[in-house]
Amino acid sequence: MKRAYENQKEDPMRHISKTAIMVFAMAAATTAFAVGCAAPLRTEASSSGIRAAEEVGAAKVPQASLHLQLAKEELDQAKGLAGSNEKERAVSMLSRAEADAELAVALSREDAEKAEARAAVDRVRQFRQQNK
Amino acid sequence: MKTNSLLIAVACAGVFTSCAATVPFELVNAREAYRRASTGPAAIAAPAELHVANYALAEAEQSFQRDPDSYRTRDLAYVAERKAQLAEATASIANQQKSQAQAKNDYQAAQGKVVAKTKQDLSQTRSALAASERSGEATAERLSAEKDARAAADQRAADALAALAKLAAVKDEARGMVITLSGSVLFASNQATLLPEARTRLDQVSDVLLTTRERKLTVEGHTDSQGSVNFNLDLSQRRADAVRNYLVERGYQGDLIQAHGLGKGRPIADNGSAEGRANNRRVEIIIEHDSRTSNP
Repeated sequence: MKRAYENQKEDPMRHISKTAIMVFAMAAATTAFAVGCAAPLRTEASSSGIRAAEEVGAAKVPQASLHLQLAKEELDQAKGLAGSNEKERAVSMLSRAEADAELAVALSREDAEKAEARAAVDRVRQFRQQNK
Repeated sequence: MKTNSLLIAVACAGVFTSCAATVPFELVNAREAYRRASTGPAAIAAPAELHVANYALAEAEQSFQRDPDSYRTRDLAYVAERKAQLAEATASIANQQKSQAQAKNDYQAAQGKVVAKTKQDLSQTRSALAASERSGEATAERLSAEKDARAAADQRAADALAALAKLAAVKDEARGMVITLSGSVLFASNQATLLPEARTRLDQVSDVLLTTRERKLTVEGHTDSQGSVNFNLDLSQRRADAVRNYLVERGYQGDLIQAHGLGKGRPIADNGSAEGRANNRRVEIIIEHDSRTSNP
């Protein structure tokens, strides 16, 4: 009688362990699948920012050129991090690239506006001198 | 009791460690960049961009509180610094555009002044030109009147010559128009006093000459070859003076008439015959060609 009861106690524990193992295995497999099929890194914002900086001539303005170069390097680093499955780090690195590209555009514009302002002031001075 | 003390010690160590965490240089730079931007022109010229920079810095600070040394904190701080720099650049752009607009206004104002002055100068020039044109018209009128007067004078001279030709021998020579009056008509033999009929003749001649009173005249006295040189020179001079003085009495301007006695030095006929000697005894009145003396 006692032996029969002890046998009954051992059978439920074995059943639970097998179930747990199966559930865990399925969860692990699902996770691995999910990780393996992760969405690609969204680099459009950084890339378009870099293109915009190039189009406004940032490469010709020293400070702007520096930030344009940084943006490009950061974009490459982000891609590398994404390739190493470090997606969150890659996304964070992309934010750097976007910020540098945006600043490169602004510095290039600032340089152009300074030049135009200087030219406008010079034009007034020359006109006044010629018409004294 | 012992377990509690151990836990308290571990908790204090944790707090101490987080307080002593090194601030990443990205966050240091971001704080400084924001401080500079917020105390500069960006506060007025780029408030929206400055607000974004402030927000980005706050995010970085929060991340630093949660996880001081994480890549996320450093990246957020890096971005915050860039946002502050962006605010400064945006403010600079706005100020440069203001300078351009001001310079443009200054240029237009300067142009306006020049245009106004040019208009004024143009108006003055037009007035001066109009005055000049009026003056020119007056000059043209004056010139025309002078031309008419000269033409009238020339006509009078031509009429005078035609009249003279009826009174005396008139010949146009290089030295002038020469009116020859016979000496026997004017003077008695060896005399220098005008005969009464000479005065009548000279009245007629002087009437004609007075129509051309602007001309210079030269009166020359000539004799034949009889008598001495000195006698003839003296006689011819006195006769020339007599004719000159009579013309001046008649109204001809004295400083326009000269008198010369040439004696027998310029015969126009052969002194070997009586007729020739009569012809040589003469007075010539020469009206100079180009003499244009002004009337008093």
